[in-house]
Amino acid sequence: MITDQTIFPRANFAIRRLPFAAVAWAMLTVSSPAFAAGTLAGTDIDNIAEATYDTPSGPVTIQSNLVRIKVDELLDVTVVTTDPGDITTAPGATGNVQTFRITNTGNGEEAFRLTANTGIGGDDFDPTLTQIVLDTNGNGVYDPGVDTVYVAGSNDPLLQPDQSIIAFVITSTPVTVTNGNRGTTGLTAVAVTGSGAPGTSFVGAGQGGGNAVVGTTGADADANSFLAVQAASLALVKSATIVDPFGGNRPVPGAVITYSLVATVSGAGTLNNLVLTDPIPVGTAYQTGSLTHEAASLTDAADADAGNFNGTRISVAAGNVPAGQTRTITFRTVIQ
Amino acid sequence: MMKSLITAIIALMVAMLGVSAHAATPLQLSSNVFVEKQVVRADGTRTVVLEKPNLVLPGDNLVFVVKYRNVGTATANNFVVTNPLPQAVAFNGTSDGTEIVSIDGGLKWGALKTLRMANTDGTSRAAQRGDVTHIKWNLNQPLTAGAEGKLIFRGIVK
Repeated sequence: MITDQTIFPRANFAIRRLPFAAVAWAMLTVSSPAFAAGTLAGTDIDNIAEATYDTPSGPVTIQSNLVRIKVDELLDVTVVTTDPGDITTAPGATGNVQTFRITNTGNGEEAFRLTANTGIGGDDFDPTLTQIVLDTNGNGVYDPGVDTVYVAGSNDPLLQPDQSIIAFVITSTPVTVTNGNRGTTGLTAVAVTGSGAPGTSFVGAGQGGGNAVVGTTGADADANSFLAVQAASLALVKSATIVDPFGGNRPVPGAVITYSLVATVSGAGTLNNLVLTDPIPVGTAYQTGSLTHEAASLTDAADADAGNFNGTRISVAAGNVPAGQTRTITFRTVIQ
Repeated sequence: MMKSLITAIIALMVAMLGVSAHAATPLQLSSNVFVEKQVVRADGTRTVVLEKPNLVLPGDNLVFVVKYRNVGTATANNFVVTNPLPQAVAFNGTSDGTEIVSIDGGLKWGALKTLRMANTDGTSRAAQRGDVTHIKWNLNQPLTAGAEGKLIFRGIVK
């Protein structure tokens, strides 16, 4: 019978009165799970037609033959970096962490072989690979000692259709790089079953007994992330002024030399634990208590303050100095 | 749910009775599925051929052919063919457009453009081909002895 009425499934009415029944109904009638990649590999598509008709001896129902076809496995993968932008590094830095997401966009369970690429051209330096680490606790953050180190062929991540995993590529930066240099790190994921030109078929290798067929991604994907060097550099300028005992500025015995040491940090980032030292020149004697740092007096003893004089040299721990700043130290000596 | 289950059981029993009561079924029904494959000819042009598939991939176009034939001597009346769509297949139209469809597992029937699908928020939208769960043809003329025909519909592997 043909009905021209607008049809609303029964759940529409049940939702108001019987939420549980409505949910149960929805679960029973929902079609196969909607994977982005399509029907699960190995699924059988069975088709039977049915006919009814009336005969003089009553209504009869007959069924057609069953036609069964199987869904092949489609091999597809995507890789993206989830880094928000360049990852900051410094000359000689170790433990650079770059983050990639590998997604099985095929329709079968598949393992993926991962390779990190550090020798990519078009950049200023090649990072040195330390290791690839899988985000085994799934929190998206590199947890050293907790997340599992990836070993190709041993723990290739096995992903269900539409499932993703995060991998961290850990690298170090050569000491020779300079401020502003960029280095590229890539991660490649390849389906273990096979890869190649889209349409390439691996007979019988599919999940569920069908073939495995390479999809549009070639079952081989990669993505790049960038390291950017933020290096601070230091320039030291030393100057001296002389005041002699006679009110002049001649370097005679008894004249006082005031040394000024200006450290300028340039580039980007911060110089950590900057320590400035200067030996007292031969033929002069350090003038007790004359050491200053940023115009503040420091004691000569090796104590809580940042400076000291140990009999042969002065030393000032200037701490962490960001690029663009200067630190000035002064001290006095007397010509013997 | 229980009611439809009982209906299904009765239908099954009727079917079994029907088969046993008519050892030589006067009507034959056969189902065939073909997949459309693009092939490149020797001259480089492309053509679409229908193949008998054993294995298909998501996105493949399938052509379902249901053939019927009255091999008996009596006329069959009220001849109705129903084809539940396999779950992994999305409906993609029929060759003649005379079918009615169901989008709710065979509870209600109608031409696709007359059906509406309920959204979870209580509103509804026009039903689409992808919503179809069952296809049915009501052949309005009696099927006389020796009469035959075929019904064709298309689907896409989800």
